[in-house]
Formats: sequence, C-alpha cells, structure tokens
Amino acid sequence: MTERRQDILLGGVFAAVGSTAALMAADYPGASGIYPTALGCVVAGLGALVAIRAVLRGADGPRALVENAPRAALTLGLAALYLVLVPVLGFYLASALVVVVVPLCLGFRRPLYSLVSTGVFIGIVWLVFSVVLEKPLPAPVWLSY
Amino acid sequence: MGLISEILGGVFAAGPIVAMIGASILGVFIGALPGLNPVMAIALLLPLTYSMEPLVALGMVAGIYNGSMYGGAIPAILLRIPGTPAAIATTFDGYPMAQKGEAARALKIACWSSAIGGVASAIALMTIGPILARATLYFGPAEYFWIAMFGMASIGVMVGSDAVKGLMAAALGLLLGTVGLDQLSGVARFTFGEVWLLSGLDLIVILVGLYALPPVISLAEASDIKGLSASDLKLEAVKVPWSEVRGLVPTWLRSSLIGIGVGILPGAGGNIAAFLSYNAAKSASDQPESFGTGNPQGVAAAECGNNSDNAASMIPALTLGIPGNVIAALVLGALLIHGLQPGPQLFHQNPGLVGGFMVQMLLTSLLILAVGGAAATRIFAQVQRLPGVLLVPMILVLMAVGVYVINGRVIDLWVMFAAGAAGYILEKINVPLAPIVLGLILGPMAEQSVRRALLISRGDPTELFTRPLSAVIALATLGLVLWPILKGLKARRRPQAQ
Repeated sequence: MTERRQDILLGGVFAAVGSTAALMAADYPGASGIYPTALGCVVAGLGALVAIRAVLRGADGPRALVENAPRAALTLGLAALYLVLVPVLGFYLASALVVVVVPLCLGFRRPLYSLVSTGVFIGIVWLVFSVVLEKPLPAPVWLSY
Repeated sequence: MGLISEILGGVFAAGPIVAMIGASILGVFIGALPGLNPVMAIALLLPLTYSMEPLVALGMVAGIYNGSMYGGAIPAILLRIPGTPAAIATTFDGYPMAQKGEAARALKIACWSSAIGGVASAIALMTIGPILARATLYFGPAEYFWIAMFGMASIGVMVGSDAVKGLMAAALGLLLGTVGLDQLSGVARFTFGEVWLLSGLDLIVILVGLYALPPVISLAEASDIKGLSASDLKLEAVKVPWSEVRGLVPTWLRSSLIGIGVGILPGAGGNIAAFLSYNAAKSASDQPESFGTGNPQGVAAAECGNNSDNAASMIPALTLGIPGNVIAALVLGALLIHGLQPGPQLFHQNPGLVGGFMVQMLLTSLLILAVGGAAATRIFAQVQRLPGVLLVPMILVLMAVGVYVINGRVIDLWVMFAAGAAGYILEKINVPLAPIVLGLILGPMAEQSVRRALLISRGDPTELFTRPLSAVIALATLGLVLWPILKGLKARRRPQAQ
C-alpha cells in the first residue's frame, strides 16, 4: 500500500474514532461531557487533516508496514493463541508451550538447547512470581473443578 | 538538613541499594542485546513494582536506564550493531577501533565516558530541578492545565517526523485518559457497560503493550537463529594511559553540556545528544579526518553525550510533569502507580522521594564503572551468543505475567495485545507512541485542572488566559503547535520562489 493510501486510511480511522467519541460524550451530563467532546473533535479534526493532506500531496511510494509479513503474522497469531491458552492450560503450562513452539516455528532447530532454556526460564519465572512475590497466576481449567 | 538525611536514609536502605545494583547489571545486559531496549525493559518492569517501596522501584528504573545506555556500546563497538538507538554514533569510531584490535580500549573509554556523562547529568538534575520546582509554587489550576497542554504539544511536535500525527497521537492519548468514572462527577465515560473499564484503561497495561510487543515482532522478523560465535567476542584486558585520559577531558565536558541541554528539551533523546556531541568533538579536533577511522575521542563524545541526556531528561518531567523522552514518561508512570501525581506539585509534596530518585540517578551512573569493568564487559559480550528467536517467546511470557499480576484479569492481556499490535502499525506509519502514553498520564491532571479553574472563576473561561503566567504558557503552547505549520508553509514557498 502506498504512503498516501495508508495516511488516508489512518486519518479516516482517527476521524471516525474522534467523531464517535465526541457524539457519545455529548450525551454525558454536565461538565463531564465537555472535555471528552472537545477532545473527540480535536482527534477527528486532526485525523481529517492527515487524510486531506494525504489526498492533496501524499507520497505515492510504498511504505512497508511489516519487514517480514509471514513471520510477523505467525508471531502475532502464536501470541494470540498463547493468550487463549493461558486461562485453559494455566499460566505455566501455556508459557512452557509457547517458549518451545515459537522458536521452532521461527526456524530454530536445536531441541535440547530449546528445552533446557525453556526449563531454566520457566523456573526463574516461577521462582520470582510464585515463590518470592507470591502472585496468584491462572491455574489449569481442570484444577478449578 | 532533615530533608537530606531523609533522602540519604531512603536511598541507602538495603532495598534500594540491591535494586540499583541488580538493575544496573540487568540494564547493561539489556543494552548489550540488540533488539532489547531500556524502554521495553522498564515497561516490563513497572508491573512488578506495584508492591514495592517507591524508591526501590525508582532505583530499578534508574539502574536499567543508565546501565542500558552503556550496554548499548558493547555490540556497537564489537559488531557495529548499536544495542540501543543512542549507541549509533558509538559505532562510527568504536567499531574501527575494534577492527584495529583495540576493542577493549574502546569499551573502557565508553564505560568511563558513560559514567562521567551520567554523573554530570545527575548533578544538573540536582541543581536545576529544585530551582525550576520553586518557580512552580506560583502555579494555579489554569497554569497546571496549560503546563499539561504544553507537555502534550511539545512531545507531539518534537517526537517523530510528522508534527500533525504527533499531535493527533497526543489527543488520542488524552481521549483514552477519559475512559472510566469521571473523578469529579462519578459519570461513567466510554465504558460500554463493562465493569472492568470503570477504573479506566490501566496505564501499565497499555505501556507494556505499546513498548514491548513491537520489538518482539521485530525480533521475530529478524529471526536470528544462531546468535554470535565466541570468536567474534574475544576481548583482552588493556590499560588506558593517564595522558590519554587527560586528553579526553575537554570532550567529556563539551559532550556533557550538550547532552544536558538536549535532555532538558522535550522530545529530543539520547541519540540526538550522541550525534551532536560527536559532531562537536569532530569540529573541535585538530584531526577531524581521523574521526570515523577509530578515534577514541569519537567514542568518548558519543557515549558521554548519550548518557548525559539521561538524568537531564528528568528535569522537566519531575518539575513540570513534561517528560524529556519516553523513559522520563515511564518514570512518571512509575510515580503514578505509587499514587504520586506527576506535575508541578510533585516536588513540593514528595521532596524526599524526588530527591532520592535524583541521588539514585547519580549512584547508578557511578555503578557503571563497577558493573561495566573489563571482566564484566567480557561477560556481557557473551549474551550476544543467545539466538534472538529464543527471546521472542520469553519476552511474551514476561509481558503476560507482568500485566496479569496488576489486576489478576485475563482481559488485561487482550488489552495489552491490542495496544501492542496497534502500536506496531502506528510506529510504521510515523505515528509516535510517546504522546499517547503522555496523554494517558497527563490527561486526568489536565481535565481536573481546567474544571477546577472554571469552578473557581464560576464558569468564566477567560480565567484560563488572563492570568499572566497561564497566558505565557498558553502562548508558548500555541507557538509550539503553529511552529511546524509555519515551517511547512515556508518550506513550500521556498521552492516556488526559486
């Protein structure tokens, strides 16, 4: 996508977000609505300015949004999957899984190195958060029954 | 006298000392690993500091900040890969020195220069900060409002390459800061009926997402699966003669002054300080042609310049609530999570804490000499043998655990993820992230100040402009916003005239 199109899209999104916020805030009673309404208008105005500026004199050259789209998508996908798994498998199991799987998916082929580093890392996290700081972390779903 | 003993008693307690030493070591480690940066490290650290004493938390921030600024020089000198953006200028002469077999000498000069720059900067913070804070005694709600607006405008305009996008990001940050219960009227705003949104968007959750996820994606994209071989990282102990040290003194003095000046300016960072210092050293040299070919003066100027920006960037942050750079914004975030409102009143309400943090910035600069010595540097150089792809999931796990422990809510993980993904894209299209964070920090203060000012004046908006101090700050804010527009117009007219 060209810089011009990206900026038109960006400005449009900000204009929409700002306008929606301003309209919502206008319904808030008393002084609590004035400040967010004004801010919504400013966001919308600046968004519109970015979009108009891009239409009038935006650069037509391409601007890469990602350096390596498949790897970026893979990482984001695995990160999202990890967040889905945390409440199901519990924090430690889900974390151990993601620490092993992500490097593997990114081309790391040294299983012993990977397993040892995972063990050491999860051990440190457990020591710091569960033993020293005594923070409660999500447990596996089957332990809640 | 009572204040000084309170400050020293607080700083030299066991907790803050252990925090400073541990964080300085961790900071050098983070700086030495290309792909990791102090902003990400401090963002990851902040959730852990909720249950800590404020001076322990701030000691850790100071240690990571100063340590990582030196740590960035290690790969810059050994491999021509700047560990942090501020170490780019260090590569110019550091790497040629390493190629000539003088890597250990370059690292030692970098270590000393970093420590000296950091100390000079901390002294500037200790002397200029209280003077500026005294001036803020004359501030009322209208001035507080305009100071917040000035901070937002300066960060919006100065950070990044596009002032309009910077201002747009700042306004978005202010808008996000209104989510939750209105503190004055109790009205729920932008909560969509969700109970977890009543307390507003958690600053640290957004911070971790914005500043930790984008580098993780970049690390994955780079996909370093090998790390570096041990042979690339060999170092031999070397002594730098006193005659050479004496020759570096003028460079250290000049670079310290430049770094302090840059640090005080909102929006300018360590990389700018390093470049300006490097250029100044080159201009002042009898042999400018030797710069870029392995001149130790170049390493000294760059490293002293980037470290002397550190504490100086806290001057506007601690006195006015305007952070000089992103890390100063994170320090304000650290203060917020300990119930301390950044802004002009911070100095007057918590002098012991602010003074303690200043001393910690000084001590952690000196700690660089201890943790960045020859033996330690050899160890830190070895961290570059770690394959980058292993760090990707580890940082993800640290992000998740750090965010989860704040409120014990899984929904926060998704907010963090959304903020991070949005931050990654926004950065790519030249929308700076710092103004968004600053908006979240300063937004509530700005709103409360403007509403208080209007309450005092019984709804008369001229109160915001007619007080002499508020009028001056309002005009300065207006000038700041108009400046890029006028500059743009001038630039467009020039080619037409030609």
